[in-house]
Amino acid sequence: MNKGAKRDVLILIAGVAFFALLPLFVKNDFYLDGFILIFVWGAFAGAWNIISGYGGMVSLGHNAFFGIGAYTSTLLFLRQGVSPWVGMWAGAVIAAVIGVILGVICFRLRSHYFALATLAFGQVASILALNWRGLTEGAEGLTLPIHPSFTKMIFATKLGYVYMGLGLLIAVLLITYFIENSKLGYFLVAFRENEDAARALGVRTGRVRLVAMAVSSALSALIGSFYAQYLLYIDPSSVIRLQIAVQVALFAIVGGVGTVFGPFIGALIFIPITIFLRAKLGSALPGLHMVIYGGILILVLFYMPKGIYGMLREKYFPSSRIFK
Amino acid sequence: MLEVRDISKWFGGNPVLHDITFRIEQGEVVGLIGPNGAGKTTLFNVLSGFYRSKTGAIRFKGEEISRLNPEDICRKGLCRTFQITKPFSNLTVFNNVVIGALSRERGIRQAEKKADEILDLVGMTSKRDLLGRSLTIADRKRLEVARALATSPDLLLLDEVMAGLNPNELKGMIDLVKRLTELGITLFVIEHIMTVIMGISDRIIALDHGELICEGPPKKVADDPKVLKAYLGEDYVAAQG
Repeated sequence: MNKGAKRDVLILIAGVAFFALLPLFVKNDFYLDGFILIFVWGAFAGAWNIISGYGGMVSLGHNAFFGIGAYTSTLLFLRQGVSPWVGMWAGAVIAAVIGVILGVICFRLRSHYFALATLAFGQVASILALNWRGLTEGAEGLTLPIHPSFTKMIFATKLGYVYMGLGLLIAVLLITYFIENSKLGYFLVAFRENEDAARALGVRTGRVRLVAMAVSSALSALIGSFYAQYLLYIDPSSVIRLQIAVQVALFAIVGGVGTVFGPFIGALIFIPITIFLRAKLGSALPGLHMVIYGGILILVLFYMPKGIYGMLREKYFPSSRIFK
Repeated sequence: MLEVRDISKWFGGNPVLHDITFRIEQGEVVGLIGPNGAGKTTLFNVLSGFYRSKTGAIRFKGEEISRLNPEDICRKGLCRTFQITKPFSNLTVFNNVVIGALSRERGIRQAEKKADEILDLVGMTSKRDLLGRSLTIADRKRLEVARALATSPDLLLLDEVMAGLNPNELKGMIDLVKRLTELGITLFVIEHIMTVIMGISDRIIALDHGELICEGPPKKVADDPKVLKAYLGEDYVAAQG
């Protein structure tokens, strides 16, 4: 192993250790909540990144997949008594199937038009969740009874959620890393860079994107299920509204799309800002955090078009095998 | 190797290709010439699956391919380059070629090995780590060839890979094309530079206004009155007459 590679491994170990050990010493639930949100949003942005970052098909409808996950596991538990550990996989399968159907219909659309179509799809999902009251209870939402037990995926302390969130994040990072270093990753990037050239070189651009869409949707749903188990109360506004889709795209773009760690870095930057603003301002200036999000987005796109992580990587890890 | 029968293509009401029929045999180098707008690139687009001909048939290695997608045609061993080069701009030259190799090779490692061999063959090893977008026009053309080669084609369609090169670069590209024929790859080449196309082709096909106007050995095509007329106009032919 050369010197650079050794350094990269050390940084990686230090990073994992930091996020794995620090929560043990944090006694304040407020900060632990911050960790959980960073992991949830980092993982979700990473899932979005698979189709939208690597494949360049920018989705503004991922709120639907997140919501499908949250509602599927919660409803299966409330109505059928199915453990969320099983229910979350049901949600993943449903999300993957719907993601593929959406892809089959919308992948012929290019960039902006695809984004708009997915935006509409997300809105439809959100409206359905609000109005299909027989299924979702509409705006009243669904409440999971608080009986901490591992089989119900309800943990007595926040620490349980912290580690499950961290586990999900690491899983998403590993899957992304694996995809980036597989044919699927090369082909997705080839499509993103130039569709005609990719097809002329034998890349089955349609199939490749459908696989990426399925993986991205399924992971989003798994994370949605976990988030529902953390909140223990879901309604359309908390798990499926449009703002979720915008936010996940924003985190990934600012962090660095088409990279393994970029989306997580985006969440790592934005979540603390959000928490801090909410704590300081309370409800004095509702929506101010969105204004600040917008400001950061503009600054990053102007000065770091590859995102914060994208820029750091180019500077410090140009040929790293780990920091991709 | 390739049998094209009666293919036609319209853009709206404009016929751009009209009942084109020809054959290419294994190991041949066939040149495709014609004035601007004759339909040369359109013919390549039809052969490589980017456009569909509503009529006729295209048989490649005995198999009907006129209904296949570009990606599947490539996997059967018919690959093309683009006149307006389309490098993967944000990827290195090396990764550009790796993607070409991946459609045929089993894994990344094998594809990387193949890519290095190809870069060596086309003389781009020193440009291996440059980004696609930073290349000069000559290197872009060379990269087009390298990527296409990486797909292990039996028949390679080269669309003006020599246009816009300086004399030195041109000589390098001619050498490369000759090396490809030595590898046993059948070539179908669009080129505007007459001395070059006459020199490298076994046979030449001339198009004008979407019609195949002449076909045969270079000498014969060069002297054909219809070809002269297409390039130089009626008056020139009459004056020579």
